[in-house]
Amino acid sequence: MQGNGFKVGAVVFFLALSAWYLFPSFQGLSLNNRLEGMGQEERVDYERENYSRIESIKEKSLNLGLDLQGGMHVTMEVGLRELLVQLAGERRDDMFDQVLVAADARAEIEGISLIDAFVEEFEGRDPDASLSRYFRSEEITRRSSNAEVTDYLRTEAAEAMQRAMQVIRNRVDRYGVTEPSIQTQGSRRIVVELPGIDDPERVRRLLKGTARLEFRLMADPGELNSSLQRIISYYEVDVAAEADSVETPAEEDTSEEADTSFDVSQLLAETEGLDDVGNPLLDVLIPAGQGSVVFGEVSVQDTATFNSLMADPEVQAMLPRDIELLYDANPSGTGGAEYYPVLAVNVNAELTGDVITDARADFDQTTNQPLVDMEMNSEGARVWSRITGANVGKNVAIVLDRVVYSYPTVIGQISGGRSQITGLASQEESDDIVTVLKSGALPAPVEIVEERTVGPSLGIVARKSGFTSLLVGLSIVALFMIIYYRGGGMVADLALIINIIFILGILAGFNATLTLPGIAGIVLTIGMAVDANVLIFERVREEQSTGKTLKASIDGGYGKALSAIVDANITTFFVGIILYSFGVGPIQGFAVTLMAGILASLFSAIVFTRIIFDYVVIGRRGAVGFG
Amino acid sequence: MRIFENTNYNLVGSRKRGYILSGILILLSIGAILTRGLEVGIDFRGGMEFVVESDEVLEVTQVRAALTSVLETSPEVKTYSDVGAGGQDALLIRTASEGETTEIQLLIIQGISDVFPESNPRVIKTDIVGPRFAEDLKRGSFYAVLGSLLVIFLYVMLRFEWRFGLGAVAALFHDVLITLGVFSLLQGIMPFSMQIDQAIIAAFLTIVGYSLNDTVVIFDRIREYTNLFKTEPYKTVVNRSVNTTLSRTFVTSGTTLLVVATLFMFGGEVLRGFSFALIIGIIIGTYSSVFVATPVVVELYHRSGLAKKAGRR
Repeated sequence: MQGNGFKVGAVVFFLALSAWYLFPSFQGLSLNNRLEGMGQEERVDYERENYSRIESIKEKSLNLGLDLQGGMHVTMEVGLRELLVQLAGERRDDMFDQVLVAADARAEIEGISLIDAFVEEFEGRDPDASLSRYFRSEEITRRSSNAEVTDYLRTEAAEAMQRAMQVIRNRVDRYGVTEPSIQTQGSRRIVVELPGIDDPERVRRLLKGTARLEFRLMADPGELNSSLQRIISYYEVDVAAEADSVETPAEEDTSEEADTSFDVSQLLAETEGLDDVGNPLLDVLIPAGQGSVVFGEVSVQDTATFNSLMADPEVQAMLPRDIELLYDANPSGTGGAEYYPVLAVNVNAELTGDVITDARADFDQTTNQPLVDMEMNSEGARVWSRITGANVGKNVAIVLDRVVYSYPTVIGQISGGRSQITGLASQEESDDIVTVLKSGALPAPVEIVEERTVGPSLGIVARKSGFTSLLVGLSIVALFMIIYYRGGGMVADLALIINIIFILGILAGFNATLTLPGIAGIVLTIGMAVDANVLIFERVREEQSTGKTLKASIDGGYGKALSAIVDANITTFFVGIILYSFGVGPIQGFAVTLMAGILASLFSAIVFTRIIFDYVVIGRRGAVGFG
Repeated sequence: MRIFENTNYNLVGSRKRGYILSGILILLSIGAILTRGLEVGIDFRGGMEFVVESDEVLEVTQVRAALTSVLETSPEVKTYSDVGAGGQDALLIRTASEGETTEIQLLIIQGISDVFPESNPRVIKTDIVGPRFAEDLKRGSFYAVLGSLLVIFLYVMLRFEWRFGLGAVAALFHDVLITLGVFSLLQGIMPFSMQIDQAIIAAFLTIVGYSLNDTVVIFDRIREYTNLFKTEPYKTVVNRSVNTTLSRTFVTSGTTLLVVATLFMFGGEVLRGFSFALIIGIIIGTYSSVFVATPVVVELYHRSGLAKKAGRR
C-alpha cells in the first residue's frame, strides 16, 4: 500500500471534482421531474418564485445538443460580394463585374477569402491598374496603393461581420429564446443555435431580413397613366407589327421592333396559346383607372410573366423618370383569386430606417388591424416634416425590403417624427418588424448556407435512444468482463463506471455539449475502455502461468502492458484532435467525448484498478481471480 | 473463462491466404466503387432533407410521385424509423431543389396533403446544406482524413521502425477501402441511409484509430519479443507475438463490436449508417492487424536485408 497515498488522493480528488461539476445536472434532472409533476398554474408560480435558482441550475447543467433537445442550428454567411458592390457604389463598371465574378468562382474553388481573390484577379488582369479607382473613403484617395485599399477592404469586411453579428444577436435576443448561442466561424460565417424553436420559417425570415425601411414618394398619377397607356399600346403594336412583318418582311425601320415582337409573341405563345391574339400584357395585368398611383393588379400566378414583360428595356424607358414598380405586400382580391397591386414609386428614398429611434407593435383603434408605430430622431423628424409639408394630397410609400406595406395620402404636415406601418397580415408580422427595426439594419445581406432543425419530439426520441444504447452497451460489456475475468472483471467494471462519471464530469467542467454522436462516442469508449484492463489482465495471466505469485504477476502485468496501452491510446487521441479541429457541430461532439473517454479510461483503468488490487492483495492479503 | 489461450496457429505462415483474401476483397471493393459509385450525402454536395411525420401511414411510391410533380424534380423518399410522440409514420425526403427553404417545405406539405388528406403532415427535422458550404465541408473532411493518416504514420515511425509505420498505414488503407467497398455494394439494399456524410467520415477516422490500436498492441509485442528471442527466426518471433496477443485481440474486438452493435440497434436512425460503418470497420480492422499489418512488417524485414544483418532467417 505504500506510495499509493498519492494515487488514492488523485482518484478522490477527480471524483469529487466530477461530482461537483455534475451536481447541477442532477439538480436539473430532479427539477424537471418535479416540474413535470406539477399542474400548469402551479408550475408557472414555482418557476417565477425560483427564477434565479432555476436559471443558475440550467446554466451549470451539462448542455444537451440541439439534436437531443430539439432546436435550430443556422450557419449564415455575410455577403462579401454585395459588400464590395456597395463599397464600389457608382464607380463600379464592367471590368469590376467581370473581376468580381471570376473572384467569386475562385474563392469557392480554392477556399480563400473573396477579397484576396478579388485583389489577385484584379492585379492579374493589369498589374499597373489601381484598385482605388473603385474604392474611396476618408483614408483611401486616388493615390492610395493597392495594399492600402486591400487593408481597407479587409477592415470593412471585418466591421461588416461584427456589425452583422451584433444585429443578429439583437434580433435573437428580442425574439426571446432561452440560451441561444451566437458565434463566429472563420472570417465570414455566423453560427446561431436556438434550442426549442418551433417555428423555423419565422426564424429564417427574421434572421435573413435586411430590414431596409424606406419612405418614398410616388409617381404622378397623370404621368403614370400616360405611360401605362403607352406600354399597353406598345404590346398591342408589337402584335400588330408581328403580323405586318409576317406579311411584309422587307420593312427595314421596324426590324428592331420586329425582333422584340418575336420574343413577346413567343412568350405569348407559351403562356396563352398561339391562337390568342390579345394583348399579352393585358392578359396578366388589370390596369388601374386614371388618377391613381397604382399601375395595375396582377394575380399571384402571373407575377413571373408580368415581371418578364416589364423587364424589357424599352418598356422600362416608357415609365416615368426615376420611377420603379413594386408590389404591394397585401393582395387585394377577396375570395378565390388573389391580386397584388403594382405600385409606381420613386427609385430614390426620401428617408430610410436609420432615422428610426423607436418602434412599437400596436393595433389600429378602429379596425383592430396590427400596425407598427415608429418614432424618428430629430434629423428624421425634420426631413419628414418637410416631405409631408411639400406633398400634401399626394401619397408616400412605406417600403420594407422592396415591398410596399402602405402608401397613405398625406393629409397635412407631420411634425414630431411619427409614422406608422399599416397593412400588416398578423400581429406576428408587426412583432417581427419591430424586432428587425430595433436591431438595426444589416450592413450587407446575409445568406443561410446551412440549416439543421430538429423538432422537440424527435429530440426526445434521440435522447431515449442515446441513453438506451449507453445503458445496454454498458451492461453487456460489464457482464462479459465478469464472466471472462471473474474478480478482475468486477474491478474493471467498477473502473468503467468511474470512467463514465469522469467523462461526464469533464464534459460538464469544460462546458461542452452532449450530442447524440457524443453519446455514441461514450458508448464506443466503453468498448475500448476495457481494453486497457484486458491488456493488463492478459499480461497478469501470462505472468501467473510462468508460476509467479499473485502480487508479482500483478506488478508484471501492469508494468509490461503500459507501453502498449499508451501507444494504442495516443494514436486514437490524435484522431480525436484532428476530428475536433476539422469537424463541425455533432462531429466535434463525438471528438470531444472520444478524447475525454481516452483520458478518463487511461486514468481509471491504470490508476484506479491498481489501487483496488493493491488494497485487496497486499493490504488485506486476499486473492483476486483473473478467470 | 479463456479463449485462444496458449495458441500456436501458424498465422504468419498462412499469410499468403490472407493476401489472397484481402486481394479479392480489395478488387471487389474497387470494382464496386468504380461501377456502383458511392452515394454522397447532402453534407458534401448540398441539398435539402426533410423528415415529415404524419398521422397515417404514407405510401412511399405515392408520395414520391406526388412530390415529383410539385417539386419538378424527382426527390428521394424513404421511410424513417424515428417517429415522435403522436406520429404514425415518418418519411425522409431528400431533394436537390434550389430555392427558399420555406417554399419547398410548403410544397412538400401540400403535395403530401393532396394525396393523403387525413395525414396532417408536419416537418420534424430539416437539414439544408448550401452548395458552397458543402464544398467547405468536403475540403475539411479531406484534410481531416489526410491529416489523421499523416499523424498516425509519423507517430508509428517515431515509436517503432519505418517498417511498422508502413505496415500500419497499409492496414488502414485496406480497412477504409474495404469498408467503402461494402458501403458501395450495399447502398440501396440496406433499409437505412448509407450515404457518405460527415458522420461516416468520423466513423472512418474512428475505424482508423481502432485498427491502429489493434495493430500497435501486436507491434508492441513483436518489439518486445524481438529483443527477448534473439536467436529464433523472425517469422517465429512474429508468429508467437501474434498468438500471445490473440486472446486480447478477440476480447477487445468482441466488447467493442458488442457496444457498436448496441448502437446500431438502439441508437436510432441518425446513428445507423455511422454504427454500421463501425461494425464493418472493426471486423476488417481486427482481421487486418493480423493478416495485413503484421505480414507487411515480416516481408519488409526480409526484403530490406535486416534478416541477414541480424543473422536471422
